[in-house]
Amino acid sequence: MKEMKLLTEWAYEPSKIHHGYSRKTLYVGLGNKDQKYSFAQKDVSDDMIDKFTGGRGFGLKLLWDAVKDTTKWNDPENEIVIAGGPFCGITQYPGTGKCYSVFLSPETKQTYNSNAGGYFAPFLKFAGFDAMELQGIADRPVVIFIDGDNNRIQIFESTAEDINAYAVSEELHAYFAKDEADKRTISVVTSGEAARTAWIAGMNFSFYDVHRKAVRLKQAGRGGGGTVLYHKNVVALVIKRTHFTSNENDVVDLETIRKAGVSIHKRIHDQDDYQSKMRTVGTAHLDEIMNDYHLLPIHNYKFGNSPEAVKIRSDEYKKLFTQGTADGCWYGCSLACAKAVDHFVLQYGPWKGREVIVDGPEYETAAGLGPNIGIFDPRWTIEANFYADHYGLDTISLGTGTAWLCECYELGLINKENTCGLDLSFGNKDDIMEHIQRVARGANDFSIACGKGVEYAREYFAEHYGSDLETMKKIGMVCQGLEASEYRCQESMAQWGGYFLTLKGPQHDEAWLIFMDMVNKQLPTNKDKAEALFFFPNFRLWFSLQGLCKLPWNDIEPADNGVRYKGLQAAKVPEHLGNYLNIFTAITGKPLDEAGMILQSEKVYNFERVFNLRMGKGTSKYHVAPDRGLGPVFPDEWMARPDYFDGKLKEFGVNIEGMSTKDKVALLQKYRRAQWEELKLAVYHRRGWNKNGIPTLATVKRLGIDYPDVVALLKKHLKPEDEFEPEEEPAKA
Amino acid sequence: MITVNGDKKEWEEGLTVRRLLDREHFSFRLISVWVNDSLVDKPFYASFAIPDGAEVQIIHNICGG
Amino acid sequence: MQVNAEKCVECKQCMTACSTAWFKEDSPELSRVKIDVKASYVNINICSQCGACIGICPTEAIHRDANGVVQIDKSKCTSCLMCVGFCPQASMLFSTQEGKQTEPFKCIACGICARKCPTGALQLINVPDAKK
Repeated sequence: MKEMKLLTEWAYEPSKIHHGYSRKTLYVGLGNKDQKYSFAQKDVSDDMIDKFTGGRGFGLKLLWDAVKDTTKWNDPENEIVIAGGPFCGITQYPGTGKCYSVFLSPETKQTYNSNAGGYFAPFLKFAGFDAMELQGIADRPVVIFIDGDNNRIQIFESTAEDINAYAVSEELHAYFAKDEADKRTISVVTSGEAARTAWIAGMNFSFYDVHRKAVRLKQAGRGGGGTVLYHKNVVALVIKRTHFTSNENDVVDLETIRKAGVSIHKRIHDQDDYQSKMRTVGTAHLDEIMNDYHLLPIHNYKFGNSPEAVKIRSDEYKKLFTQGTADGCWYGCSLACAKAVDHFVLQYGPWKGREVIVDGPEYETAAGLGPNIGIFDPRWTIEANFYADHYGLDTISLGTGTAWLCECYELGLINKENTCGLDLSFGNKDDIMEHIQRVARGANDFSIACGKGVEYAREYFAEHYGSDLETMKKIGMVCQGLEASEYRCQESMAQWGGYFLTLKGPQHDEAWLIFMDMVNKQLPTNKDKAEALFFFPNFRLWFSLQGLCKLPWNDIEPADNGVRYKGLQAAKVPEHLGNYLNIFTAITGKPLDEAGMILQSEKVYNFERVFNLRMGKGTSKYHVAPDRGLGPVFPDEWMARPDYFDGKLKEFGVNIEGMSTKDKVALLQKYRRAQWEELKLAVYHRRGWNKNGIPTLATVKRLGIDYPDVVALLKKHLKPEDEFEPEEEPAKA
Repeated sequence: MITVNGDKKEWEEGLTVRRLLDREHFSFRLISVWVNDSLVDKPFYASFAIPDGAEVQIIHNICGG
Repeated sequence: MQVNAEKCVECKQCMTACSTAWFKEDSPELSRVKIDVKASYVNINICSQCGACIGICPTEAIHRDANGVVQIDKSKCTSCLMCVGFCPQASMLFSTQEGKQTEPFKCIACGICARKCPTGALQLINVPDAKK
């Protein structure tokens, strides 16, 4: 890589971390294409820690302060805020390298928060910062270097010729490292050329794999963070930090953390092969399990089970993943699920013939860029995964979006002329791969529309091709502008809420309730479902405040977890929950119990809801469940499981004698939509919101987030007719 | 007949826990199995015979990577 | 190290010698050899240099030296303790005492324990082709 010209630099006095916090955040301002760079080291107040804890919480708080009500995703005021949390940078316990990136999303037009593992967030913290804000738009492509060794920030004019992730990340590791061994002290955040035109571009977070002597990538894939990064004219963020101790967080009680770490390392060693097989196949172990439960998305979520799924079993992926290497994405992660395929020769695209390392695929990619688009070929999926990462495309939005396109094509809603010559039938490997290449390049108007996501594309198709909008809406697994992740939620009412009653869109990081509901039958009433849809989003999202990966919480469990605990208690994996609460105290010195953990989360959960409202969203009308999310849309889906669906209709007391399949489909949709509306209200009530999905004044006051601007905003939108009737019994806290 | 998580299911002669799991395609591994409120430990899945009329609970942990 | 537990008389001089040599104090927790007295026999737990820990380490801090002994390079160690959890024999150790080194430690076949052992239950041997 050619030498880069230094445009500006700024030195800072590094703040030492104490009990998990450095109490400083970094601000980098790029100006507005006017070279007016600015930097600041901001204080973290006690109130910020008390109300927002860290990670996603800090991101939302800093973004709230940075933007105006009218700020759009591509305005200079929009920020990308990256923050770890108090656990971030611990080396003794698995899954402590996570950070959240918070920004106004081009797809959802409200805040998005996207998580990534790896080294960037720990290094940022060791450099002295609990969070980093990136605001403004540079006047030329820049590389921002956070030099955690010399306590300075430098902004260079980028000389990268290929801005795609694997190319530029390798170059930047080499550029800033003294030698080969030094490459592991660096992490690079990039997007790729897809970010130029697509709204579904994510960010890649690199780390250097010392065994493979190569760059590996984790992704903050969703929501269009890469699109925002590109439009700020930032080619890459680079961080370097060489030295750190095993107690860089200056915790109160290191021994508790070490003992907990060793005990779970041993548990993972002993049990992982019999449980989730993370160390051998990563999250792709879910392929055959989801197929067995009819949860695998096939042909745009039409079906959930196929005999062809045998081709994509985790055993098939195990043959391709290199075994026996240390595949953790930050030090101390013994779950080591960051699997990779080595020496993979690409068959398509501009790097055809080249041998590469492919990171993944994760389950989401294996399903989304697999059976959801009718392709049951691991090697094809691995190649699609590679290019998606390289170009900066979110594999979930790409997979779900392409699945929807394939169905539109097969229904005749779009044709070969519209697609500029591509036959986008399900399973057409060559043309779908070419489609991915064209989306990345923004090759033509059709590809550009597709790259902006399903909600944009369907409006475009209706306007330009005369495609039927109603049908496109029924079959599009999208809500609040975001494509759904790769689980079929149709047959679990609780998971309708887990997808379509979320803050940011149908991403499963709030609640995954399908087994608890559909299989265990532990949530029979709306009240039970509402309780779960209050509890689990707050529980899951607690991890996002801390810098934690959730996989070591419940993708490994004590062998006697199901023996010692029953019901919902077992689902919490109490021993691991206890580890996290103890470690939080061991880091910060502050006691924390389960109720306190939920409260920490509830504050940020409701603040984020208010932020959605501020950006013009955040009400009931945006919590829309598409027909495909509630059940079959066409007769062929019903006929894949006729007895099952007949039984479902009979549960409503319907006499199905003599009914046509088309009528049965329509009737089940009607009943389920009524159930959906009831569920929505039950969940809003439990969350302390009104009937329009807006947090009440009482709720924000209880949580201590009743800041003047929050209250003013709520008063504009809260209406008396939207209030729930007061209960006879006191409401549960 | 037996019930599995409250749903009526066919019983068959020699129905073991393992056979029931395979029949229902319950391949998820983070589960615990209770027959008439007694826990059946994993090593005994292939040998434990489920009696006719039994109430079986097959509790799955939370999934979702 | 060659181990013959039947010869052990449970004097634990090996443990004292080891922890004194490496940590400057007589502490069973800080000894790299453990004499574990069962009801009817003695188990001597000491690293067999099997090398299972080598591939576990994310920074390649663990390697086998020219004598076949598995060593930890403390300058590369991040004290993640995964090697402790993954050792098949529980011979990779760590201290739970505040102020002691955070890196794990193990037997590196220095022979100090063997020189102290009155019965030859522990012996230092050269195994030129072993484990290569």
